[in-house]
Formats: sequence, C-alpha cells, structure tokens
Amino acid sequence: MKMGQTYPAPAWDLPHRHGGHLPCQDCSLSAFRNTTVPSSLTPRSMDLRPCRTMGSMFRSEEVALVQLFLPTAAAYTCVSQLGELGLVEFRDLNASVSAFQRRFVMDVRRCEELEKTFTFLQEEVWRAGLALSPPEGALPAPPPRDLLRIQEETDRLAQELRDVRGNQQTLRAQLHQLQLHEAVLGQGHCPPLVATDTDGSSERTPLLQDPRGPHQDLRVNFVAGAVEPHKAAALERLLWRACRGFLIASFRETEQPLQDPVTGEPATWMTFLISYWGEQIGQKILKITNCFHCHVFPFEEQEEARHAALQQLQQQSHELLEVLGETERFLSQVLGRVQRLLPPWQVQIHKMKAVYLALNQCSVSATHKCLIAEAWCAARDLPALQQALQDSSSEAGVSAVVHRIPCRDMPPTLVRTNRFTASFQGIVDAYGVGRYQEVNPAPYTVVTFPFLFAVMFGDVGHGLLMFLFALAMVLAENRPAVKAAQNEIWRTFFGGRYLLLLMGLFSVYTGFIYNECFSRATVIFRSGWNVSAMVDQSGWSDEFLAQHPLLTLDPNVSGVFRGPYPFGIDPVWSLAVNHLSFLNSFKMKMSVILGVTHMAFGVVLGVFNHLHFRQPYRLLLETLPELVFLLGLFGYLVFLVFYKWLCYTPASAASAPSILIHFINMFLFSQSPTNRPLFTGQELVQSALVVLALAMVPVLLLGTPLFLFRQHRRRSRKRPTGRQLDEDQTGLLDSSNASEAAWGSDEEKAGCPGPEEEAEFVPSEVFMHQAIHTIEFCLGCISNTASYLRLWALSLAHAQLSEVLWAMVMRTGLRMGNKIGVMAVVLVPIFAAFAVLTVAILLVMEGLSAFLHALRLHWVEFQNKFYSGTGYKLSPFSFAVEE
Amino acid sequence: MLEGAELYFNVDHGYLEGLVRGCKAGLLTERDYVNLVQCETLEDLKIHLQTTDYGNFLANQTNPLTVSKIDTEMRKKLCSEFEYFRNHSLEPLSTFFTYMTCSYMIDNVILLMNGALQKKSVKEILVKCHPLGRFTEMEAVNIAETPSDLFNAVLIETPLAPFFQDCMSENILDELNIELLRNKLYKSYLEAFYKFCKNHGDVTAEIMCPILEFEADRRAFIITLNSFGTELSKEDRETLFPTCGKLHPEGLRLLAQAEDFEQMKRVAEHYGVYKPLFEAVGDGSGGKTLEDVFYEHEVQMNVLAFNRQFHYGVFYAYTKLKEQEMRNIVWIAECISQRHRTKINNYIPIL
Repeated sequence: MKMGQTYPAPAWDLPHRHGGHLPCQDCSLSAFRNTTVPSSLTPRSMDLRPCRTMGSMFRSEEVALVQLFLPTAAAYTCVSQLGELGLVEFRDLNASVSAFQRRFVMDVRRCEELEKTFTFLQEEVWRAGLALSPPEGALPAPPPRDLLRIQEETDRLAQELRDVRGNQQTLRAQLHQLQLHEAVLGQGHCPPLVATDTDGSSERTPLLQDPRGPHQDLRVNFVAGAVEPHKAAALERLLWRACRGFLIASFRETEQPLQDPVTGEPATWMTFLISYWGEQIGQKILKITNCFHCHVFPFEEQEEARHAALQQLQQQSHELLEVLGETERFLSQVLGRVQRLLPPWQVQIHKMKAVYLALNQCSVSATHKCLIAEAWCAARDLPALQQALQDSSSEAGVSAVVHRIPCRDMPPTLVRTNRFTASFQGIVDAYGVGRYQEVNPAPYTVVTFPFLFAVMFGDVGHGLLMFLFALAMVLAENRPAVKAAQNEIWRTFFGGRYLLLLMGLFSVYTGFIYNECFSRATVIFRSGWNVSAMVDQSGWSDEFLAQHPLLTLDPNVSGVFRGPYPFGIDPVWSLAVNHLSFLNSFKMKMSVILGVTHMAFGVVLGVFNHLHFRQPYRLLLETLPELVFLLGLFGYLVFLVFYKWLCYTPASAASAPSILIHFINMFLFSQSPTNRPLFTGQELVQSALVVLALAMVPVLLLGTPLFLFRQHRRRSRKRPTGRQLDEDQTGLLDSSNASEAAWGSDEEKAGCPGPEEEAEFVPSEVFMHQAIHTIEFCLGCISNTASYLRLWALSLAHAQLSEVLWAMVMRTGLRMGNKIGVMAVVLVPIFAAFAVLTVAILLVMEGLSAFLHALRLHWVEFQNKFYSGTGYKLSPFSFAVEE
Repeated sequence: MLEGAELYFNVDHGYLEGLVRGCKAGLLTERDYVNLVQCETLEDLKIHLQTTDYGNFLANQTNPLTVSKIDTEMRKKLCSEFEYFRNHSLEPLSTFFTYMTCSYMIDNVILLMNGALQKKSVKEILVKCHPLGRFTEMEAVNIAETPSDLFNAVLIETPLAPFFQDCMSENILDELNIELLRNKLYKSYLEAFYKFCKNHGDVTAEIMCPILEFEADRRAFIITLNSFGTELSKEDRETLFPTCGKLHPEGLRLLAQAEDFEQMKRVAEHYGVYKPLFEAVGDGSGGKTLEDVFYEHEVQMNVLAFNRQFHYGVFYAYTKLKEQEMRNIVWIAECISQRHRTKINNYIPIL
C-alpha cells in the first residue's frame, strides 16, 4: 500500500455525504480538494450526458486512482456493470504474473473455446452465402452459470452442422465422381478420332485404327480418368518420359464446369484417355496417375458397354441429386437456427471474456474474500461508480467498496467531448495527448483553427460552398444511412463536419474582408474612391486619355478619396493594376500581426499551467522573460506597423519611413540618414528594448535551474537536523500538491518537494533541459514569426489561382459570342468546367493545403509555447462499440 | 554483379528485405523461452505462444494438443511466410530461393525412396515430408528403380536435375546406395549453391560463403562421424565430402583417413574455427553434443548475417533461425509432454 502518512490522501470526501462506509485517511485535508463534484446532482443522471460544462474543456478532468474491493461473489456482476457504463480504466496489478498463471485463466480459456466454435459456425454461415445480422437490444454479459448452457447448445448445434455438412460433402464428392466418370465416358466415344488428331502421320496410327487387325497379339489397353487442368501438362510429360512412347494419351477439357465438392465452386477438369501396350507400362501409368491424384475410372472397350454404363451413371446421379437436395434443405434449416442464435451469443461471450480478462488484472485479498482492483476513474464519476457497485453487489449481500487512494503516477487524461468539440480535440490529440490537467488548447483551437484556415482560404463563394456542404452533413447526421456509410474518405469528412462548418463560415467572413467572391469583388457599399472628382480636377484632355490607358487616382486631390470602405478592401482595387502590391503589403503585415498575437497568446496560456501546477517561480523565471523577449522584439514590430498605419496620411505618404529598415537598424544599433524616425526618441526606445530582450535570455537560461538547485540545497541541508518537524511541515504544505507537482513536468520531477524525490535531483539534466528550451524558444520566436508568413503566401496563392481560373475559363466563355443563343450553348460546358475545376482545385486541393498549414501553425508555432502533450488517454473498460 | 549494387538493391528486393527483418524481430526472445520453459502443459505452451508472433496458429486444432501438431503448424507457418517471400521475389533472388528449397527437396526425395524401399504407402510418408521441399512430381519418385531412371523420368524438370550429373549410376537402389545418393546430391547441391553465391559477389557472397563453407565442413564432419564402423570405404567416404568448405583439400584428405573421434578432433585442431567447437564438446556423460555445438555456431553466423544490409543472406539466415526456433519449441514441448524436465533447458538459444 502506498498510503504513507507523508501523503495525506487527497481523499474523496463524498462518502461522508452519502453516508458510505469508506476508509478515509485524512478528512481535514480532503475538504478543499474536491470541489468539482456537486453533491446536489444525482450520480446517475450526470455522467451519461457527455459534456455537462464547457469548463471541462479547458483542462482535462480530475482523475482519481481508486481501489475497488469486490466481494468474490459479486465481482463478476460488478465488473460487467462497469463494462456497461464504461467509467473506469483498470490497472494491471498482476503485470509480473504471466498470462496463464492468472486466476481466471480457466474461464478465459472456456470463452476462447466457445469463440472457436463460434468462428466455425460463422464461417459455415458465410460459406452458405448468408449474412449474420447484428444483434438487437441490450445484451448484458451472461451470468457465469449460463456459460455452460450456451456451451452445450453451441456444441450441439456445431455437431449437427458438422454432421449435415459431412453428409453433404460425401454426397457431393460422390456426385462429382459420377459426373467425372460420365465426362470420361462421354469423351471416350471416339478413340480412333483422337489418334488421328494427335499424330495422324505417325506409324502407330494403323495400330489404333484397327486394333484387332494384323497385330492381334498387341492388345491395346486403356486407362481413362480425370485430372485437374493445371497438372495436366506435367502429367503428360511425365507419362511420356516414363513410358517412352509406349502409349498414346489424349487430354480434353470437360464440356461443362463441375462443382468442386469442397468449395462448391465450378471448375473444369481435364479428362484423359491413355492407350498403351504391355502390362508393365500399365502398372507404371497407374502409379503415375495415382501420384497426380487423378481419378481413374474403368473404361469399357465396347461402345455398347460404355453406353450402358453411361446410362446407369446418369440414373445414379439423378438419384444422388435428389438426396443431395434433401440434405441441403436440412442444412439450410440448421443454418437458419445458427443465424438466429449466434449473434447474441457472440456478443455475450465476448463481454464475458472481457470481464474475465479485467478480473485477471485484480489481485486477491489476503483472506480470499474479495478481489482488489485498482482503477482510474474521473472524480466526477465517483458517485456513479459507487452507485453502480452498490447496485450490482446488493444481491450478494456484501457490498463492494470504492476507496480513493493517493498515487504518484501521472493519471490519464480525460477530456469529455461532444460531437461539436470532438473534431477540434482530435486535432490536438493527433499532436499528443495532453499531460494530466495541463491547459488544453482545444477550446481556443475552436476559434483560431477555422480563422487561420480562413485567412488562407478567404473567398466568399468558396467559403459558402464549404459551409453549405458541411451544413448538409450536420443536418443529415442523424440519418442511419449517413452514419452507416463505410467509405473511409467520407467518414473523414463526416467526422470533421463541424470543423468544416466553422471553416466555411470564417472563410465567408475573410472573403468579405478581402472582398473576393470567386475572385470577383462585390460592391455592397459605395466605393471610397471617386473617379469623376479626379477627372474634374486634373484637367485630362481627350488626347491624354486616348494615349494613356492607365490613369492614377491621387488621394491628395480633394474629393477623390472620401474615406475608407466600411468593411474590407475597397472594390475599386480590383480594377487597379497595383492591386497585387497593395494586397501583398496588407497581407504580409496582417500575417505578422496575427502570428505575434497567436504566439503571445500561447505564452500567456502557459501562465495557467504554472498556476495550476503550483510553480509560481516559473511565472517570473520563464513566462515573464519569454513575454518580454517576444513582445519586446516582435510586439514592437507590430506596434510600428500600427503606428505607421495610423499616423501617416496620404499627404505625408511620400516621406513615410520604411519599417523594415528601422527594424533592421534596431538590431544593429545604428541609424540610416535617409530613413526618418517614426517618432521622437525612437532610437532610445529601440535600444532599450533590444537590451531588455537580450537580457532576458540568461534569465530564461539559468533562472529555473538555479532556483531549483537552491531549493534542493536548502532542503538537503535542513533535512538531517530537524527531520521530525520538517517532515510534518513539508508533509502538510507540499504534499497537498505533491501528487500534482510530481508529474508537473520532466525537470519538475527533479525539483519536486516530495521527500522521496530529493534523491532524483540531477542538476545537469535540469540545466540541459532548460538550455534546450531556451534555445528553442529564442530561435523559435524568429523562425515562427517568419513561419506565419505562410498565411500571406497561401492566401495569395488562393486568390491568384481563382483569378486565373476566372480569367482563363469563365471570362473567355463570356466573350465567346454576342448572340444569346451562341452564349447559351457555349456557356453550359464552360460553366461545367469552371464548376468542376473550382471544386477540385480551389475547394479540395487548396482547402487541403490550407488545412495542413493551419494545422502546422497550431501544432508547431502555437502549441510549443505551452503544451507538452506527453500524457496518455483514459481508456475506460467499456463494452460500448467505438463509433 | 556491378559495383555499388547497394544503390539499386532496394529497387528489386527492398520490400522483401524489410519484411524479413521484421519477421526476424518476431523471433522468440530470451524472456519468451524462460516463460515457455515454465509451462506445465502443452496448453500453457499454446497460451504463451499466442502472445508471441505465432499468434493463434493453433486455434483451429482440436484437442488434445500433441507435439507433432504443434510442429506441423509451425512448419506450415514458416512455409507460408517462405512462399510469400518467394512469390514476391525477382531474379536473382528467386533463384536463391530455389536453391534454398533444394536441400529440402533432396531430403524429401530420399525419404520417399526409403519409404518405397520399405514398402510403406506414399501417403504415410508424404506427411513426414518437409513442406518447403514439396514439388509436383514428388510422389512419382517410387516408380524409379535406378538413379538414372529417377533422373530421366521424374527429376529432370525439377531444380534438382543438375545435381544428378555426378550420381548417375546403374546401381540398384538399396538403403546404402540411397544414403550415398543423398550425400552425393547434397555435395553437388552445396557446391552449386556456393558457386552461385560466389558468382553473385557483393555482400551476398561475403555473408553466404562462410555460412555455406561451414555447412559443407559440418557435413564432412558428420559423414566422417557416421561412417565409423560401417562398411563404407575410405575412398568412397572422400567422394562424399563437399569440397567448398574451409577443410578442402587438406582437411578433407585427413578426415577421409580418420578412424575415430579423437583423430577427427585432431584434424579439426588445425583449423581456428573448428578447434573451439570441438573443445566445447563434452564427453559422453554430460556437456553438449557435437551436433548442438554446430547448431550454436550456425545460429551465431545466421544472427550476424543480419548485421549487413543489401544481401540475400538474411533470407537464408531467417529461415535457418526459424527452423532452429522450431526445433527449440519442439524440444521444450517434448520435454513438457514427456515430463522430462531435467533436460528442458538444453535448447539452443537464439541471440
């Protein structure tokens, strides 16, 4: 038992409220730990709803290690009930015991025996071309005594089936034999013909044509039979080699395929007729045909005798067919019974085996009166767990007991999802399942993922199509046909339908910002630019207009620029030739702003981790330096962008300085005379920021390790003197969070305040770890910021591709002819091509690539700021079928 | 072979090499053996084997389980793996596979001929034949009266045909002659295989030649050992020795003159490889037999073959290691079923 007094158990306080009789070590400490279980809720009603509060999304739920004392008599029902509910994950307490030395190995073996018989029955059903329908209704694991009944019935059924099958097989084999014989005799109608066919010019021909002629003494004998086609060639060659031409063999394929007696599949056979001279040769031929597993049949030499035999055979096979039909009818009856009985049994025995396997993981108490299981269970489910155990053990008279125990292992991670959040959690889990109770990025991903995707996919039309597709899936999600679809690609899309829905919606939004709908600009509001004002005031002559296809609108001329467009990019830009350079500048800056914001948000999320794991020093020694470094350098860049946007008017545009040069100069501590400062004292501010940011690097590098080292030294110095007193104090102060801090993080394990952890402090390891983290963070800030430029690149690529598609396909189509009739005919295929290419290239291909890049931005750039993803999932023991 | 065959080895054989390395990783480990040895019954053994790569290969066997059933199923499993390799192989790897099967085919032919001699039914013997050495004309072996008959009628189309060049004689097939025939066949087979590997060059030659040299020498030793006290003349004995080993030619001549185990040991002492092996052999009461020592050395060479890449030797080595593993399991299973636990640990560990 691990319940040392140094770890006052974060014991479960609910037993007191429920009036249970649970052992509880330390009630005084337990009160403040378990605030997550509201006592007002009845246990049963709460656990079945998948996501009661969104709060559970922000970090994984509290998971407790519980000990279950299962009375031997009720253990089976208890575990089977737990399997139905799927609440707990059993820990293997017998890891050192090999599979065949465990307690319930006999029962498992019996289940396996039964499953073997089931497999036999199932294969028989399948072979008959029938299907097994999945069982309906709830099928609990049968009580152990039912196993015997099921076993008996199964065995009886299997025996019956085997008998009938055997009968059918023998009958079929007989029939096969008869049919082969018929085929052989049928072929044998014309031996002379065969001879002339095979080697008409040879000197042996006369022998055959007139067997009773001059060579009366050389009697020709026959061997006739049938062989499988793939062996025929080898047989023929071997015959020739072994007998050196003392025979003539003719091979011929059967006219109709015969049913194979074992598989029932039709197959053609080769019949052969060998005529030979001499006794010895005959023996050899027989041996050879034997070794090729040929069927050899008696072959009458007289035509009439053969006829008679053939007729007899036909009659026999008719009779046999009737008997066979009868047998097959009986067989289908038996199979019908199997079809009805087998599926529920399979489910039941499967459950039973699972229960025994779970019981095999339990250890036996000293008195053999109960089994002890250890299991992980969400703290919120504990009342439900206890209720379930009480219900299922009430019959046995002794009730099963649940009892929370402290543990030093990292508990598994449990984040409950509903159908909306599941796909977002899936994105996060694909990177790595979160450490126990660390900040879960999934709730933020719900917003940021579709948003970053949409930045790269900004087009109203494309977004709308995606949205409608996803909406159709969402609306049809409850239809059984949609649910049951097996296509893997379809299932992938269907699983991410809510993700697609949001991605489409956000794309519509960014599409409006970029003012693009299938690459065309929409004019919803009046454009902010006025061409007529420009014409009026510039005094362009007709000649000037004729010579200059391109005209410049000057915002400094009064009346030309009337203020910004209310929402998004002004549609007038779609006509401008410098459209692209304008958008590039805008999108590049936007990417950097979004990137820095996203990363800074990631760093801030780390705060919640440090607070939760009770490591306040990391706020000061890690989060603060990181934030200063990031915001001091790249936050300042963002500030410059905004400053320039706000403070420079069209009038002063000509003299506007370059931010890029300023930013480069900032690191070089220099100033270029041609680039005017943005604001007074800029140089001072910049120098201060660079010095501050660089000063943060050593803090980040050495802060945490030195702090931990000092803490470790202080404690080890204190230890020998005031051991007794110290233990009480540290016990009270630290152990309350010992269990959490212990698996706080890798380096934390070393510095954890738990007394036993002391020995594990390895300074070099901590230093190394922190050094890696520092280098990664500082270099990452630069490379990650650059990485966010993919937002610009991808959105540019998307816009250009759709522009090209419009210009090359749709516009050429629209220009084809002026007559309505011609247009109408031409536009049908043109639009079809446009639609297909839009969906295939812009929606599917571009969508996938934008998805991939959004995924990368989340995994690499965002999550590495705070998320370690080194946990493992809680996988409860459950009978429920995974969807 | 051109220089730098590593560059394009993977084009043709990369998949199979990957596969065979994966299979090799599925060989039973030391821990598995420790567990197997602890088994009380064959059922336990079966349960334990289920947790290994063997899976539930015994699932469809009806009770009671016997050692021979286990053996047959294991062979079937190896055979299906081998067939898979073979069906997916390209030249010259497929020729290499054909060479590998030849040794089993020789054994099968000899087994059938012996059976025919003792007037046993073909079916009875077919069960005992190794599945790797099956071929269509196999069952027709018993129509032959003399080796030339056998060659001309039955074996001329099989890969065994070239090995018959040296053993065409008109002798009646009796037990001794069959044994001589086996050894002669084996001799020419080994020499042909050795030549094939040598001509192939490259890593394959570097790996396979030592293995085949050892195999040849082992046969020479075993033939010598078995011919003590038989009517086999010393000249005849020498004709049976495969000449592709390290012992050729001096050692073989000395071996042909050897008259007891001590003399044989003295011959081996001239060779650095075989000296330690003969020293490891215990005397009658305890210790290892010569056979076991040879097996151990073979296992070692085969395991080492996996250290190099881009060669065919891994397929040979894998098959041999798997065979050794099967022998081990059968040994353990025999010990369990006969309740003869004292010798259960005498299996050959695969490193």
